[in-house]
Amino acid sequence: MALVRKIIPQSTVDGPGNRTAVFLQGCNIRCAYCHNPETQAIHDAEAREMSVEEVMAEVRKGIPFIRGITVSGGECMLQAAFLTELFAAVRGLSVETGHPLTCLIDSNGTIPFAHHPELMAYCDGVMLDVKAWDADVYHRLTLSPDNEVVKENLRWLLQHDKLTEVRIVCLPQQAVVTTDVADNLRHIADVFAEAGKRVPVRLLRFRPYGVVGELADTPSTSDTEMSDYASLAQSLGLF
Amino acid sequence: MADIYSIVTSQQLSYEQKVVALAHAAEDTLSVLPMPERTKYYFEKGVICNLNEGNAPYRPRYIMPDYAKAVRQGVKFLQLDPPQNFDELLTFLQVLYRHVPSITTYPVFLGDLDALIEPFITDLSDEEVKRKLRLFLIYLDRTITDSFCHANLGPQATRAGRLIMEVDRELEQAVPNLTLKYDPAITPDDFAEQAIYTSLCVANPAICNDVLNRNTYDRYGISSCYNILPIAGGSYTLTRLVLPKLAALTDDKEHFLKQLLPEAMRCMADYMSARIRFIVEESGFFESHFLATEGLVERDRFVAMFGLVGLAEAANHFANGKKYGTDAEADAVAEQIMETITAFVNEYECPYCEIANHRLLLHAQVGIDTDYGITSGIRIPVGDEPESIYDHLRHSSRFHRFIPTGCSDILPFDITGKQNPAAVLDIIKGAFSLGQKYIAFYASDSDLVRITGYLVKRSEIDKWNSGQAVLQNTTQLGAPTYASAHLANRKVRGV
Repeated sequence: MALVRKIIPQSTVDGPGNRTAVFLQGCNIRCAYCHNPETQAIHDAEAREMSVEEVMAEVRKGIPFIRGITVSGGECMLQAAFLTELFAAVRGLSVETGHPLTCLIDSNGTIPFAHHPELMAYCDGVMLDVKAWDADVYHRLTLSPDNEVVKENLRWLLQHDKLTEVRIVCLPQQAVVTTDVADNLRHIADVFAEAGKRVPVRLLRFRPYGVVGELADTPSTSDTEMSDYASLAQSLGLF
Repeated sequence: MADIYSIVTSQQLSYEQKVVALAHAAEDTLSVLPMPERTKYYFEKGVICNLNEGNAPYRPRYIMPDYAKAVRQGVKFLQLDPPQNFDELLTFLQVLYRHVPSITTYPVFLGDLDALIEPFITDLSDEEVKRKLRLFLIYLDRTITDSFCHANLGPQATRAGRLIMEVDRELEQAVPNLTLKYDPAITPDDFAEQAIYTSLCVANPAICNDVLNRNTYDRYGISSCYNILPIAGGSYTLTRLVLPKLAALTDDKEHFLKQLLPEAMRCMADYMSARIRFIVEESGFFESHFLATEGLVERDRFVAMFGLVGLAEAANHFANGKKYGTDAEADAVAEQIMETITAFVNEYECPYCEIANHRLLLHAQVGIDTDYGITSGIRIPVGDEPESIYDHLRHSSRFHRFIPTGCSDILPFDITGKQNPAAVLDIIKGAFSLGQKYIAFYASDSDLVRITGYLVKRSEIDKWNSGQAVLQNTTQLGAPTYASAHLANRKVRGV
C-alpha cells in the first residue's frame, strides 16, 4: 500500500510525452519554494491509501494514449518498496497489452538509489532535483542537513544510465531565500564532464502559486534572469 | 425575386459573393430533378437536406484533380506546358486552381502540396523557397475566399512539408486548410510533432489516420470538411440525412428503425441517384470540361456521399434521458441506428459509382450554419463530452468505423500542449491505433478556430457580427455556427 495524494491521467510536464503521473503523499525535506506543500506531511486526510492494483487500474485507463508513468510526490522514494511493486506491475501490463510503458521517478535525491537495485532494474529513469550545490545554501532552502546524497545520486544515476533529466528551480536573486544557479550549473557540468555523459538540464521558473511561508509573496523569476541562466547553461554545454 | 433584390443590394456581401449567390438563385429557378411525394415530405420536414447544392447540378460537388498528372503533362486547355522550375510550378498551380470548379465555385482540393513542390526545390535555399511560398500562400488565401479548401501533406517527411508549415505559422491564414496524412510507420515523430506544434499555433494542419483511410480507394485525398475522396475523381453530391428531425417524427424506436429510417433513406438515395444521373447524363460536364477531357479527372472515379448529421440527438431521443457519449444505453441506440444505415447503403445500388462498387458512401456531415441543436455527424455534443479525453477518443473510435468518406473530432487543447507536442502525438497515436480516423485541434487561445471543420478567425467573426463585409465566405457561415453550436464551450483538453 502507498499513501497517494493524486493521480493525473494525462500529464505533459512530468517527463517525455504523455504520461500518467502519480503523486505520493509525504516528503522528508521542506523546500521554501515548494508549490504543493500539502503533499509534505507524512499523513494527510486528503491522501488515500491505495494498493498497487488500485493504482494500476488508473494506469490501465491510459493505454494506449500514454508513454508511461511518472511517480512524484512528496518524495516518492520514501515509499520505495511500493514503487518496486508498482513498476513491476507496469512492466507486466506492457507485456500483457503489447503497449510499451516506461516508469520514471521524480525525486529530490535524498535517498540513495544505489540501495534499491531491484527498483532501479524496473525504473527507466529518474528526474533529479539538484536544488543547490553549496551545502549551506541547500540547508537554508530545504531545512535538510546537507546534500551529499543528492550529489552521490547524481553521479550514480549518470553512471548507470538512469538519469532522465536534472531539474533546477530558479529563484529570483532578490528573494529572501535564494540559490546560486550559476554555481549549481558549473558543478553539474563538471560532474557530466567527469562521467563523459550528459542529460538534459531543465531550468524551472519559480512561481509563487501554491507556495506558503516566506516566499509566498515573492514574484516569479524574471525573463531576464531566466534567459541569463539559459545562456550560461548553453555555454557550459548543458541543454 | 425579393431574394435576388436583396442579394444585389446587400452591403454585407462582397462582389464575388453576390455573383455566386446570383448564380445559385438562377440555378434554383429550374426544377429538373424528380421529387416524389414522400421525398418532398422529408425535404419539407428538414429530414433530407441537399446542402444548397442547387436544383440543376452542372458539376460534381467535390472535384479532386490529379495535380501530379497535370504537372507531368501540362494542361492544353489552359495553354500550360509542364513546369520546369519552382516559379513555373507555382504559377502553373495558381492558374489551374483558378479553373477547378466545385459547389463553392472554389477548388476544394489543392493536391499533395509537399509532394508536388519537393522535386522543384532541390537547388533552392530554405529562404528562397519560403519567400516564394509565402507569396503563393497569400495569393491562395486572398483569392480562394472560402476555407472549404484543402491541401494535403505527408505521410513522408519532406523538406517542402517542413517549409510549408514554417510559412503557415508565420502567416496565420484560414486558407488553405492543411491535413497531414499520418502513419507512425512512415512519418517520423519529429515531423509529426512539428505538425502538432504548428496546429497549436495556427489550428492547421489536422491529422489524418493514413493507415485506416488509405485503403478506401487506390489513391485518396482530403478535401473541404474532411472528405476522404479518390484522387482523379471526387464526389458527385453530398446530401444529408438530418437524424434528429427524423427522430422528432416518432417516439417509438422500433417505428423509427423499421419504418421511418428505411423510407427516408430510400427517398434520399433515390434523390441522390437522380442528381448523379443529371450530372453524368445531362449536364455535359464529363464531355466538355477540360479536367475530364484531359484525363485529370475520370468519370468512373467519382463517388456519392450519403451524409449523416446529429446521430447524438437522435440516439438521445430514444434513450430515456441518457446521453450519447457518456452512457452505454444511448451509445447502444446510436449503434443500432448506424447498423441500420450501414445495412441500407450496403444494399442500395446507385448509378455511376464504379469506384465504390456502385454504393453510396457514408459521410459524417459536419453541419451547416442554420443547424440548431444538431451536432456534427457522429460527434458528441459540446457540453456532453466525457470527462476523460481517453474515453472521448475511445468513443470516437467505436463510431468512426462506420464512416468511409470522412469523420473527425475537433479538440481544443490547453496552450501548454505547445511545449510538449510529443505528448499530443502520444494521444493521437493511441487514438489512431484504436480506430479513430481523423483529428483536428487548436489551442484554446488561438485566433484561428475550427468551426465544424473549416477554419475561421475569431477576429473576422467579430467583424462580420458588427455588420462589416468580410473576405471569406466561410466567416459568414462560421459566425452563427460558432454561437449556435456553443463552440466556445468545447471541452478544452489540458495537456
